[in-house]
Amino acid sequence: MTIRSMGLALGWLLLSNSAWAGDADPLQSPMWSFHQTRFLGEAPYEFDDRVVLSAPPFAEDSRQVPVTIDATALGQEVVRIVAWAELNPIPHIFTFFPTGPVAPRIALNIRVEQATPIRAAVLTRDGAWHVGSTRIDAAGGGCTAPSAVRAQEGWEEHLGEVFGARFAQGDGSRLRLRIAHPMDNGLTAGVPEFFIERAELRGGDGAVLASLELHPSVSENPTLTLQLDGRDAGQQLWLRDNNGNEFEAAF
Amino acid sequence: MRLCCMLVAIFLSLPLAAGELAYDLQPRQIATDTWLVEGSTENFAADNGGEIVNVAFIVTEAGVVLIDTGISRRYGEALRAAIGRITARPIALVINTHHHPDHVFGNQAFADVPIASLAGTRELLAAQGAAFADNMYRLLGDWMRGTEVLLPTQTLEPGVREIGGHRLRLLALRGHTGADLAIFDETTGVLFASDLVFYQRALTTPQTPGLDVWLADLAELEKLPYTLLVPGHGPVATGREPFAQMRDYLGWLDGLLREAVAAGKDMNEAMNTPIPERFATISLTRYELVRSVSHLYPKYEAQVFRRVDRRE
Repeated sequence: MTIRSMGLALGWLLLSNSAWAGDADPLQSPMWSFHQTRFLGEAPYEFDDRVVLSAPPFAEDSRQVPVTIDATALGQEVVRIVAWAELNPIPHIFTFFPTGPVAPRIALNIRVEQATPIRAAVLTRDGAWHVGSTRIDAAGGGCTAPSAVRAQEGWEEHLGEVFGARFAQGDGSRLRLRIAHPMDNGLTAGVPEFFIERAELRGGDGAVLASLELHPSVSENPTLTLQLDGRDAGQQLWLRDNNGNEFEAAF
Repeated sequence: MRLCCMLVAIFLSLPLAAGELAYDLQPRQIATDTWLVEGSTENFAADNGGEIVNVAFIVTEAGVVLIDTGISRRYGEALRAAIGRITARPIALVINTHHHPDHVFGNQAFADVPIASLAGTRELLAAQGAAFADNMYRLLGDWMRGTEVLLPTQTLEPGVREIGGHRLRLLALRGHTGADLAIFDETTGVLFASDLVFYQRALTTPQTPGLDVWLADLAELEKLPYTLLVPGHGPVATGREPFAQMRDYLGWLDGLLREAVAAGKDMNEAMNTPIPERFATISLTRYELVRSVSHLYPKYEAQVFRRVDRRE
């Protein structure tokens, strides 16, 4: 046990003696209380099995760990989904605002710097948060590893390329995408933050159906899976990085 | 109260950490002049010291030919002592079949004798050995103490090489890591397939150039007129069953990945695909499926995804 994690554990011991605002954390994470306050504020919350957070029990590659958040059991009540990796140097992964035909379900790959609890907090119209949790074991180092994208000669010329496809599923469909971008998080020496910070899925008329605020805990060359009601809803994707580059794709 | 519990737990764990770690390696004769140190089909763990790999040696007239060196310096030293209890002959040649840690991290115990591998194996070990070591120290802890990467000193070319009365046919293949050596002892009929063949233990895919490449290698190996097959992991076999199992498993894995991508599944869904009942005798199937999806899914996605961006 490192001094740091002992410190965290002691912090948890102290915190756990105070009264909880909501449920007790099923993962007993030393950082739950901190992130709960930061992301959920004073709002009521519960740990809720209807928020299904899937991730492998261990990270085979700490730079690319697949995470799937499925809150479709909460249906049309979902307003917002916030996800974070509790022990990452940059914990916040994304905030997702699905509306209309866009289901409250999203999958993407993240980086983990060490073994960590992962959370997805889902805000419903009644103002309450529903929290799903899982834990990922990891050798770590995913947030500080050198970029694989930047190691490829001429990567700049491919910046913003989007590869993907739409897959029919019953009456609905899935959009799966990979976007060429290094998603630099500023934790590699001499490489400042450079990442896609906003994505919007739009209808054929340009109306925004879902928006996604991204943070650089998302892996480089981000892979996104979105679920839609309808075979052809969500025909355009718009992306913007923190350097003002805009990218567009169509389906 | 909780603090007390934590301190008690820390003290209880101390005697374990201070205990003497020792490998009990028992070579077993499997053919004329030929000995096997059989590892378990478990995963790397602190309670097995990483003794999960098959290591073999041939006692020739010119000395001992050792095929792979195990997971740690401590394993290599125990292996050398165990060989010394079987024969007084010197070690003539150490072969590293491929660059994975469980096959080469005992090299330090043989630093005074020639260590040979394919050129590609040496390059891969030079590039990836340090990262492997980090991960093995994490998984095995003190078993790894003193272990460092020691690169092979000689390069093997494919073809027949005669050593001390044994005609060894060296086959340079690629399916498991990109540089995989199989050794067929024409004198005894023993085929050392190394990790091109896993038997009753799920195969691992972190560096495979492709499941089709691996299947092609298996077809080449299966043609050899062997009487005994030594897989890299799992029990030896006289028949063709390990090849049948490998082909079945690789075919299932390839089909699973293809179908999952075609159905628009995400990686977690693919990782949770049910394992067929017929693979129930194989250890670590779920664990290795999680790993294989991590390694291979992007390659399968690339076959289905199309360029959809609109660039100015």
